[in-house]
Amino acid sequence: MAKVIDARGLACPQPVVLTSKALVEADEVITIVDNEAAKENVSRVATSRGFQVSAEEREGAIYLHLTRAVAEPRKASFTPISGPTVLLVASDSLGWGDEELGKSILMRSFIHTLSEVGPKPNKIIFINSGVKLVVKGSEVVTDLRHLERQGIEILACGTCLGYYELKEFVEAGQVSNMYTIVEELLQAGKIISF
Amino acid sequence: MPHSVVLFYSASGALRAEKLLKGEGIGVKLIPIPRHLGSDCGICLRFDDSEETRVRKALEEGGVEIMRICEI
Repeated sequence: MAKVIDARGLACPQPVVLTSKALVEADEVITIVDNEAAKENVSRVATSRGFQVSAEEREGAIYLHLTRAVAEPRKASFTPISGPTVLLVASDSLGWGDEELGKSILMRSFIHTLSEVGPKPNKIIFINSGVKLVVKGSEVVTDLRHLERQGIEILACGTCLGYYELKEFVEAGQVSNMYTIVEELLQAGKIISF
Repeated sequence: MPHSVVLFYSASGALRAEKLLKGEGIGVKLIPIPRHLGSDCGICLRFDDSEETRVRKALEEGGVEIMRICEI
């Protein structure tokens, strides 16, 4: 049985909205409109959804017969994003450009703001010169500790700390290794990286 | 502890002031300008309210021009 939508007298975009809804529920829809613009708009949406359109004018109204022409395309398999949000900090400077801007201004502002607003990442991973942010003398250690107290896991690449000879000076987070870092990245629902 | 922030005319002014104030032993923190104080993406220095006199004096003596000081 065709579903009938009487859209006469309705202002745009109501005819399209009502028809769209009906197209989801039925394989055959008859939309009645009273003007050319509505006819075109409804026809366009029906065509785009794989319906065949035939129009018939009767007593000053336009009857649009919409018939599903092709089987509804299978919904794309959709896996909702799940898993922790991981922030990957691969440098002690935020962005590429002037070093003072990136280190003294942007990175400090970023980490400070991160500790103040939400939603927060679940984990923050520091690699390469990013590890300089978790050690003694870093301007953001206090903010990172604050984040840790809020339950955010902070991991610093052990190889990198070793390379920069900073292993004894870690003041925030845990020293981690490449296995854990790779696992965390692969298991993440979202990675924010810079 | 209530805080105030001191705003500058430029980011380099803020950095210069930070160095100066830290040198004077005044605890300051460089932060983005709080949203309610401005929409531009600037930075400012946050300090404990009780330090306001010292902050003003040090910056004046150090010749760093400030835009304003606001409580936050």
